[in-house]
Amino acid sequence: MCLDDQILNTYLDGELEEPWKSQVEEHLSYCTSCKIRYNSLKKLRDTVKSAALTQEEIQGSQDRVLAMLEKNYLNKPAKKKFMGKEIKFTVPQFMGVAAAFVIVFAGALSLFGNRSASSIPLPDVNSSINLENITPVKATETSVTKKTLDDFTLDEILKYLDGKGYSVDIHLKSIQPIDPAVEETVVVEEPVAEETVVEVVE
Amino acid sequence: MEIKSGNEVQFRQVYNELFPVLMKVAYHITYNQDVAEDICQDAFIRFYDKDMVFPSMDDSKFWLIRVVKNLALNHVKKKARENASIEKIKKVPMAALNPFRDGASELLLQESQQTVRKAVAQLPDIYRTVIVLKEYAGLDYRQIGKVLGISESNVKVRVHRARKDLEVYLNREEVNVP
Repeated sequence: MCLDDQILNTYLDGELEEPWKSQVEEHLSYCTSCKIRYNSLKKLRDTVKSAALTQEEIQGSQDRVLAMLEKNYLNKPAKKKFMGKEIKFTVPQFMGVAAAFVIVFAGALSLFGNRSASSIPLPDVNSSINLENITPVKATETSVTKKTLDDFTLDEILKYLDGKGYSVDIHLKSIQPIDPAVEETVVVEEPVAEETVVEVVE
Repeated sequence: MEIKSGNEVQFRQVYNELFPVLMKVAYHITYNQDVAEDICQDAFIRFYDKDMVFPSMDDSKFWLIRVVKNLALNHVKKKARENASIEKIKKVPMAALNPFRDGASELLLQESQQTVRKAVAQLPDIYRTVIVLKEYAGLDYRQIGKVLGISESNVKVRVHRARKDLEVYLNREEVNVP
């Protein structure tokens, strides 16, 4: 009965106990095929071991980490510090800081807080926005819920602007329309934008 | 000898004695020296900050190895997740990186080292940890069992299976080398 790899591996690691150890040694002394297998397992183990990180490779890291630990931990008294400075607050000072925060937040809220009160889901559009300056961004699965200007038809946008009291005049750039009704189809250059996005992804 | 991890003199002693072992463990799990260095640093900071008492040097060693092993495995898992999610983007720069940077100057020894490191890197976590602790940290079965919280016979089986995997991988690589 010959030896299996697991016993040979255990023996190789010096982890096989008596009486099995002596039995394996005896067997290896006369069984050539087991001896060959044992040698190849030993060679495998030595090959794996030889790929170990060497002390020369380790030394640089060892010095660097020690220097960092010495600088930040070992030579310092154990005080809680923030950004390298010890922070001390008396109670009135702390109250003062807290009050300043409250004032700043309250002020900000009173100035900008009621912006969100508008219930119209359309984006804020004002006269300084030029459609040519808007870069269409491809909507991905994650941003489906976020509406961009592209999600509205020209008609809706015009209606909204009209509702806000703007007078909008649309011109075609380069092509002369035969029929005034054609106007609507030209303004937003969506297909071009789609193509550029696809190129980037590839 | 009792070890107080917050005591500077003892800390330095532990550091000098154990840094190389920890570095090997971290490196042979992550196969990235910068990451391994960060992990060791992190482990020693925890060790010092926690100000613990260990009954012996071996106990502090097992504690540190366990911390380093866990940090390293976490890094590998995180990395694998990131790679999966940015696979498409990564394809381009990876193709641009040419493997012939070192050209013919690369020594045979380095090549076989690289092959072995790749072979270890492809092992499943449970086998890789055992083989790293065995071959690179020099722990015996009992110590490995203690670090990993598994029985000695379980360690024995894992070492055996890990070597079987490594043998298959290395034999295949040798065949494929032109």
